[in-house]
Amino acid sequence: MEYNESELLAVLLSREVRDGEVSACGAHSQIPAAGLLLAQALHAPNAELIILNTAFTPFRTSKPFHFLAQRGDLGLFFVSGVQIDRYGNYNLHQLGPDPDHPKVRFPGGYGGGLIYYAARRTVVFRTEHTRRSLVEKVDYISAAGATPPDVLRLGNPTKLVTPKACFSFDRQAGVLRLDTIHSPWTLADIRENTGFDLGVGGPVPVTPAPSAEELRVLRSAVREKMLIASPAYAAWARGTLVEEQSA
Amino acid sequence: MGVPYIPVVGLMGTDLLKRRDDMVVAADPFDGKTLSVVARALRPDVAVFHAQKADRQGNVSCGYDAEALILAEASRRVIVTAETIVDRLTEKEATGAFIPGMHVHAVVHARFGAHPGGCTGLYGPDKAHMARYVAAAQDDAAFAEYLQVHVFDVKDHDEYVERFVPREWREPARAVGG
Repeated sequence: MEYNESELLAVLLSREVRDGEVSACGAHSQIPAAGLLLAQALHAPNAELIILNTAFTPFRTSKPFHFLAQRGDLGLFFVSGVQIDRYGNYNLHQLGPDPDHPKVRFPGGYGGGLIYYAARRTVVFRTEHTRRSLVEKVDYISAAGATPPDVLRLGNPTKLVTPKACFSFDRQAGVLRLDTIHSPWTLADIRENTGFDLGVGGPVPVTPAPSAEELRVLRSAVREKMLIASPAYAAWARGTLVEEQSA
Repeated sequence: MGVPYIPVVGLMGTDLLKRRDDMVVAADPFDGKTLSVVARALRPDVAVFHAQKADRQGNVSCGYDAEALILAEASRRVIVTAETIVDRLTEKEATGAFIPGMHVHAVVHARFGAHPGGCTGLYGPDKAHMARYVAAAQDDAAFAEYLQVHVFDVKDHDEYVERFVPREWREPARAVGG
């Protein structure tokens, strides 16, 4: 079956959602939003979704979401960053070697530095898998993967998902390790496009591809839901999710 | 909330923490051991922000982000610019956060007051203008020029709207023959 990279990512993220948990993603996060809605439609009918700033949030403002996360009630959060490094840090602030004189400045982390410590599991995703986005060390730490001893932390990053591969976060060693590679990419492709050591010795399994059913539901029921989520999400769905032809 | 400082979950190990002198790391006073970030309360003297709607008593309906309410509660003087002023606005009618008039000292009618930013539900950011702003912000001279043109040489808000808010935003399509 044919699918685009956004659809691939949405399917892979949907598989991370567990039934019965509170799962969320931020504003302007169309791919994980589609993933959340897909999971609810397929294997997690009792998942409680919080898609900030859309029709799919129980709250009228952002404050109750942050407090819910701080209380430890957020099971899963999806987040992305401009740069992600080997140690699970991500950067949403700025680029450049001198932190006081950045070359490029981004909107910043918003609640990211908090949610990364509060959500029970965070799955990081990146739509671009290149050496400039997956780096050895980020230029600026907006949210920290590692936890010093005796520090209050409720949850940790668990995975990084890109259009080429999945990595898992090894909490003991405090590093990301290559887990599976998506067809048709090879280990050589991943090495060439990743700015850090992959932490693998032998052959790496292939990621199970999106199934016909996952794609069908994504392109029909989920697409319909995105059209009512918010104007921005509707525009994304129209442009990105291939409309499923009725049988 | 009115407390002098508050512990928060997270922010440990970030570069953000390094550059904030109003955040420190402290131990839980009940177990003497567990560390977290503690942030000092912010008490602005003046807050100014834009909202979709306000009434004559200073009650405000603004967007989804609760920060405006927190800001209004924390600041000594609050000035709200609003797209629309009505006679009476109740919490039930508010589309997002509702700010009771008790917190607000002045309300100003400013249609398109968020420009070149957006106002949720009414208009999006003016991307072309934003691009010009970002380019001007690259150096002091260019930015001084931007301020001169868009702020200092403008008599009042009506003139700003007339000159800088895109015409299509201000003049919705007229009916044929109108």
